[in-house]
Amino acid sequence: MNERIFCLPILVMLSLAGCSGTPPRQGLPPVVEGGAPSSEPAARVGVPRGEEPVVVSPPQSGGGAVVALLERADDYRRSGDVSGEAATIERALRIEPNNARLWSRLAEARLEQGQPRQAEQLALKSNGLATGDRALQAHNWRLVARARWALDDAAGARAAEQRARSLDRR
Amino acid sequence: MARKKRKTRRGGRKRRRSRRSSFPWGRILLALLVVVVGYVAFLDFQVYRQFEGKRWALPARVYARPLELYAGLKLTPQQFADELRALGYRSVSKARRPGQVARNGSRFELVSRPFLFWDGREASHALRLRFASGHLSELTDARSGKAVALARLDPLEIGSIYTARQEDRILLRLEDVPDTLVKALIAVEDRSFYQHHGVSPRAIARAFWVNLRSGEVVQGGSTLTQQLVKNFFLSNRRSLWRKLNEAIMALLLERRYSKDEILEAYLNEVYLAQDGQRAIHGFGLGSRFFFQRPPKELNTAQIALLVGMVKGPSYYNPVRHPERALKRRNLVLKVMLEQGIISRSEYQKARRQKLGLVRPRAGTSKSFPAFLDLVRRQLRRDYNESDLVSEGLRIFTTLDPQLQWALQKSLARHIQPLLKKHPELQGAGMVTHSANGEVLALVGGRQAGFAGYNRALDARRQVGSLLKPAVYLTALEQPRRYNLASLLDDGPLEYRQAGKLWSPRNYDRKFHGRVMLYQALAHSYNVATARLGLALGVQRVIDTLRRLSVEQPLNPYPSLFLGAVNMSVLDVTRLYLNFASGGFDIPLRSIREVLQADGEPLQRYELSIERVIDPGPAFLLNRALQLVVQEGTARSLAQRFPASAGLAGKTGTTNDLRDSWYAGYDGEKLGVIWMGRDDNQSMGLTGSSGALRVWSDVYASAGAVPVQMPKPDSVVWHGVDRDSGGLADSGCDNTVQLPFIESGVMPPAAPCASGAARRWLPKWMQ
Repeated sequence: MNERIFCLPILVMLSLAGCSGTPPRQGLPPVVEGGAPSSEPAARVGVPRGEEPVVVSPPQSGGGAVVALLERADDYRRSGDVSGEAATIERALRIEPNNARLWSRLAEARLEQGQPRQAEQLALKSNGLATGDRALQAHNWRLVARARWALDDAAGARAAEQRARSLDRR
Repeated sequence: MARKKRKTRRGGRKRRRSRRSSFPWGRILLALLVVVVGYVAFLDFQVYRQFEGKRWALPARVYARPLELYAGLKLTPQQFADELRALGYRSVSKARRPGQVARNGSRFELVSRPFLFWDGREASHALRLRFASGHLSELTDARSGKAVALARLDPLEIGSIYTARQEDRILLRLEDVPDTLVKALIAVEDRSFYQHHGVSPRAIARAFWVNLRSGEVVQGGSTLTQQLVKNFFLSNRRSLWRKLNEAIMALLLERRYSKDEILEAYLNEVYLAQDGQRAIHGFGLGSRFFFQRPPKELNTAQIALLVGMVKGPSYYNPVRHPERALKRRNLVLKVMLEQGIISRSEYQKARRQKLGLVRPRAGTSKSFPAFLDLVRRQLRRDYNESDLVSEGLRIFTTLDPQLQWALQKSLARHIQPLLKKHPELQGAGMVTHSANGEVLALVGGRQAGFAGYNRALDARRQVGSLLKPAVYLTALEQPRRYNLASLLDDGPLEYRQAGKLWSPRNYDRKFHGRVMLYQALAHSYNVATARLGLALGVQRVIDTLRRLSVEQPLNPYPSLFLGAVNMSVLDVTRLYLNFASGGFDIPLRSIREVLQADGEPLQRYELSIERVIDPGPAFLLNRALQLVVQEGTARSLAQRFPASAGLAGKTGTTNDLRDSWYAGYDGEKLGVIWMGRDDNQSMGLTGSSGALRVWSDVYASAGAVPVQMPKPDSVVWHGVDRDSGGLADSGCDNTVQLPFIESGVMPPAAPCASGAARRWLPKWMQ
């Protein structure tokens, strides 16, 4: 519920930006905030020069499959097989490559695997996709901080902690 | 001197001869016995060593990615049917056993095969599937009717790694072999198999008689055990000595091992066919080779065909000599009937069947030499060649057969018609997953099915305008100086360096005056790009390229801005992955996991990423590359794909039309296509008239996924007046939406802006 409330003003702003000074023939910038519903009908266009019209599928969402894989990843974690956990999350990411939570989860696993550099990068990647989800962003910045502590980058770690706190406050 | 020596020798011989009469026969017999016993012991040791240890050198097996099934998967019924066919699933009216599928329009019911993956065994599933509007819409358990969250099919085997003239086989356990096959084999090749002790005196006597009468060796009285021994330990020569060895070793083998063990070894050893440099051994691979399925899934007629081939694999080869093979098969069926292995009705039914060979359907072959070449190169970095060809490693790769077929077909479709005019025309292409760097498809030449010069990896060609995004990115990374609407000068340019005059021209031989930065990239204007590059400095652009993993030698001359760099399809892929992934460097991977023959994981190639472009500039560049498609040199795509796809990319054309390039991505995958000639002569295609069309076909048949790049907080959208490059408002009617870095420089208000924007902007901006 919280996430939707955060998304709302962004969507409103976007649609305003799209309307102001934009004639109808210029569509909205191709930016999607959050996942598009998979029930959305596929779009069709006219057929130029005898070529088949191309149907663009809505982004893939593998809801049940990803949940199942995350449960399996939990099993791996409980049995102490972090590498198996990471590989299972990678498998889930092939199904939903834009799922910010999966990237964040992979970052955590890499931290457990003793790969703080990768953990940091994956958390940053997750943050790039987690627009509007402040809780997840704050969580990712804490992961970044932990990774940087592990890398003996105290200044970087404190800066990341600072960002996490400022996201908490807002 | 020499003569003298000979004499004395002769004398010595005489002496020995004279002693012979008193030679002790008993001792010589004893010595002979010792030699014989020793020899038998030596043979016994050989039999033991070969049989106990690893019996065969097993080539590493290479698999494509397994198809993961779940509701919501983007896949058409046709694509699914193609994949099942390549996997050797049989069409039936009701799927009951693994490897069977029943199709009714867009509904399928199948029983999948169990398979051992890195994370354990995927059990066989009875599945019911329904497809709707390009997606798998329902996935349920065919028995319980409950929804299934996720199921994995067995992966397509796409090759194995062997040395020249190496034997290849898929090891079977006896329980993997249908009973009928074993019985038929025994009935045809060695009826007394379960009675004899390795050799069958009756069979030998018969063969001896036949051979004696004809004066040469025509018939062998070999038991299965002898045949195994012959193939296993001995040369192919037909000599009495070898025959003797064979018989002794057969007896020894039977003494040490059970009938079942010998039978299992025989089933795996027997030679069945030749496939180029590769020898097909054993019923496991033979079944796969001729029928695309494991032995358990063979029908009676197919079993009879394989069993019949044992007698003369090349004489009875069903591909080259179908009539002979059919005759032989029917003979085997008759024997099976006589021996009570099959009933009369089974016999009648099987006799009526055709040979039933299953060859890969055209366009869905399983031979992907260019991709395997990439896999091999990656493996050779981490493994010894000898381990790769002998340890039976199982290599799980990233290849997506659907995309591979689409890429092969599209390249062929566009090259074929041009061959009359340009017989030398070649092409190469690569598709990768833009979030994880997995290589999904790779073609190294216009004949994708043939190994050879792998242009995708080894042909380094001038990239031309493909390099321009690096120049524009260098500018966009200085938001206080540049944004997408910055006005660039595309007027005549003369630049003097070291006494030499450089005056780049545009492809259309025109100058376009003042253009917005994004327009210069979208229309690939050379002059504006050159001027921008000069303002940035060559070194800065080189630094950017190095950061984006371009490792080629780069000459620090302004011609670099226009792409005077030689790169392969793979190099370009690496460069563009930085853009397609939203600013992350992602090492390319063609392998996911390597397993030992027993299924134990040996190595996993993990996903790793590194941010190399800040989110703001990465987002701006992505928008610019989308505008290349919406209104620039790649706009033919905008006619074919809906705007909602948000496709992005860049064309590349080199001087005199020597190279045609396109690098582009949707929300899921990056595709890079090159067309040109090996001798680097002109072939008359630009990036958009050649490579772009191939790309378009690939994405049309594989399906395009919308680009979803969330806007970073540091970026804001503004409408910009196309005529002036100023900020627009409701008073302007020809605008483009552009993202800006909020803290960076903004364009002034456009002349058409009626006031809202003017009031909103600070005075100094107006």
